[in-house]
Formats: sequence, structure tokens, C-alpha cells
Amino acid sequence: MVVWSRIRKDFPVLNQLYEGKSLIYFDSACMALKPIQVWEAMEYYYKYLGACGGAGRSTHSLGAETSLLTEQARQKVTSFINAESPNEIIWTRNATEGLNIIAATIPLTKDENVVTTTLEHHSGMLPFYKRCTETGSELRLVEAKEDGTFDPADFEEKIDDKTKIVSFVHASNLTGSVAPLEEVVRISHEHDALVISDDAQFAPHQKLDVRAIDVDFSVISIHKAVGPTGIGVLYGKYELLEELDMFLVGGDVIEDVVYENNKITPKYLPPPHKFEAGLQNYGGILGAGAAVDYLEKIGMDNIHNLEQKFSRKLLEGVLELDKFEIMGPMDYKQRTALVSFRPKSDSVNHNDVVEYFNELLPQHKILMRGGNMCVHPFQYQIGINPRKGEGVVRASLYIYNTMEEIEIFLGELENFAKVID
Amino acid sequence: MSDFRKRSTECILAILEKKNPATTKEILAMTDLFPDLCVGCSSGGDVILAGKELVDKGVLEREWTSKGFVWNLLTEN
Repeated sequence: MVVWSRIRKDFPVLNQLYEGKSLIYFDSACMALKPIQVWEAMEYYYKYLGACGGAGRSTHSLGAETSLLTEQARQKVTSFINAESPNEIIWTRNATEGLNIIAATIPLTKDENVVTTTLEHHSGMLPFYKRCTETGSELRLVEAKEDGTFDPADFEEKIDDKTKIVSFVHASNLTGSVAPLEEVVRISHEHDALVISDDAQFAPHQKLDVRAIDVDFSVISIHKAVGPTGIGVLYGKYELLEELDMFLVGGDVIEDVVYENNKITPKYLPPPHKFEAGLQNYGGILGAGAAVDYLEKIGMDNIHNLEQKFSRKLLEGVLELDKFEIMGPMDYKQRTALVSFRPKSDSVNHNDVVEYFNELLPQHKILMRGGNMCVHPFQYQIGINPRKGEGVVRASLYIYNTMEEIEIFLGELENFAKVID
Repeated sequence: MSDFRKRSTECILAILEKKNPATTKEILAMTDLFPDLCVGCSSGGDVILAGKELVDKGVLEREWTSKGFVWNLLTEN
């Protein structure tokens, strides 16, 4: 049994008073807080190693240990998402970089198309928009329903034998809705189309099993999974990674660069190393391994169960006030533990809501994000106009939050509703 | 300070010179009038951050009302 109060103590950010107030951190969909165990892993690298790791680099003791620990971290991520082999795990800066790597390197011709959705984070959409613009390929958009869910029939309509790849958000950072990825993979594969799932908002919250889903590529931002900033993961089926060209070249991706007759001939390493040019973020990689260990120790099922309780209480509480419009499905079981909302009265801008909770409460700072969450197309689709400064407020929770915090938030939200026009 | 942040500061000042005082909602609805200055994300966070810095410097005042925050460019500045 998980003692959640003990978990919370691993996050010293929450054990401080900031400007004399206690913190309620509801912005984990942007950035998860980091437990001591993660910094300790990073500190170990910076304090005791600090050396080069990676393919063909320094073989002295510090370099060897750095290489060993980074490969152990790769193995941990392999197990975390149930990939077949660590050779399928590529270190990136974040999910955005993983999406860009695939968008930039997937073979794509003018007569082929790419399918994505209106609910994508800009990172899941713009790399493919850019590539399609360059190749003259068609970018097809599946519209999410108003509540952020999808009808698989809409994918049947858009995906055809000319579809090269489908870029699909597994759990939305705006609506919290969890999408029917398995169904989309099935439809895509019937047409020999590949699927890349944006798991930035899914993998930290529920068990991601890339083999069970049979997804071709997946991207994760470790900073949303209690890990450090600046480190992410691109998963790809090995045979696909072997075929793909690289996005960056240079050191660490090379078996040899032969010089003969005034010409060079590079010979590249196999995946994953051919995608990891230059010295890597070793401290971040060790932190990523510690983050995965931390979540695995708690258990992804336990995390999911806790978040379902949060999701229910938060959703039902905001709904009950009847003063706020809520994005996403009304069934808490279809969501992760986040609720995006805006006042029905429309008299107050989302930035004001965020600032009110950040600055004006007597005892707490409730930290949320306001804006369009990098999902502008969907908001235009449902009638929220970012160009007019319209947006939403997002409360997103994670393993260190408590039911008591939700109660405080709901109480303050009720007070807030009374002080606006 | 990067040019980007400088421009966000100039953005909120330019808006308040046109309409003073103004609510956050009014300010963000006017960013289209100054496309060269108001270059941040349309959600308006950059403008609000710039405004908060100007409050700290005593250039602006900000007061909570039933319509959200009202921003006031202090005339002695």
C-alpha cells in the first residue's frame, strides 16, 4: 500500500512557505515537481563522475561508469514502456524533439498524406505541418469532438492507403481526455500507415505498453514524469529506426569516417546511437532513470487509481459550482487528473483567474496555468478565440497532491465566483 | 533583457497610453493594435508578466475588481 503522505515529503518544493504562503501546485501537466531521489541521481553524476559517456568515448573509470549508468537508465525506460529492446529508446531533449525527429526524417512524397488531429499540442502538429509544406504532401486533420473525445469513424474517413503516418495525442494536455490509441493504430495499420503517439501527458500517469498497443513511435517528456528538464525519450520499433535517416549528425553517431582519395565516407552506428549526436545530457539521463524507478516503485496502477479519485473530485466539484465552463469529457474515467475551465460570465480573463489564485488568497498560493496550452486549433474549433486574448485555466494534479488541496481549491473557487461579475 | 521582453513591456505601456485604466481583458483585446510590440503568445502571459514587473517598478498599479485586475499607468511616470 502506498503511503501518499510519505511520497509528498520527497518533494521539498511543497514543504516550504513561498512569500509566507503554502503552495498548492496544480501545474504538473506543464512541469512535474522533482523528488529528492531524482536530484540525488543527478548530483551523483555531477559530483562524482562529470565525465564523457556514450559510444566510443572515454574508457577511463569515470567515462566507463557514466556509460554504464546511462545504459542502465535506457534499460529502465525500456521496461517502463515495455519496449522490446533498449535499442528502441533514443534520448532526446523532450517530446517535441522526438516528434520533430520523426517528422523530419520519415520518407514522405508529394502524393502521400499525413493525418493528425485538431486536439494535438502544437508539438504534435507543427513538425508535420512544416514537413508537409516542404514536400507538398497533404496534412489531413481529424476534428476532435467538442468534449475532446474522438470518433474512430473519423479516422476511417481520413486515413487511406496514401497515409504515411498518423500523429496522435494519447492524452490531451488541454481536455485531459484519453484517446482510443489502440483503435487508431488498428485503423492505421490496415492501411500500412505508421502511428506516432504523443505520450507526454499519458506516460507519467498510466502504464504505457508500446508493444500491447503496437504503436510504431512514441514520445515522452521526462520532466512531466518527476524527472529533470531537458531530457525526453523517443521510442521506435527497431526495424523502423534502422530505416530512418538521422536528424543530427556529428560525434557519437559514427563507427568510422573513412578518408580516401580526398573524399570522406561516414559509416554510422545502428540505433539508438545514430540518433544521439554529440555529448549527451548524462546528468539528465541518470535523473530520468531515477524518475522511472520512482514511478515504478509507486506503481503505475496505484498512480492511475489515485488520479482517478482526484479527477472525480475536481471535475464534480467544479461542475457543482455551475459557474465555470469545463473543457473535456464529463466522465472522470475518460480523463487524466486535469481540468481546464473558464468562468461562464466571461467578465474575467483567464490570466486574472491564475493571478487571483497566485496572489490574492490569504493563506495559499494555488499555482495553475492560464492560456491556450499550445492547442490553439482546437480552441478555435470550439469557439475560444486566442487572438482576442481568450483562453482557459488549467488545474493539473499529480502524485504529490492531496484531496485536502482539492477541497481548499474548490472552496476558493466558490469564493472567486462570488467576487466576479 | 531580450528584445522580446522589452517589446512586451512596450506593448502594455502602448495599450495603457491609449486606454488608461484598463482591465486585463481589455488590454489583451487591444494587442492586435500594436502588432510590432505585442509579439508574444496570444494567450497574453508575456504581457501580464511585463505588467507585473512594471507594477514592481512603480510604473503601473494593479487593483482587483469584479471584472478582474484593472491596470493603471501612473501619470507621474
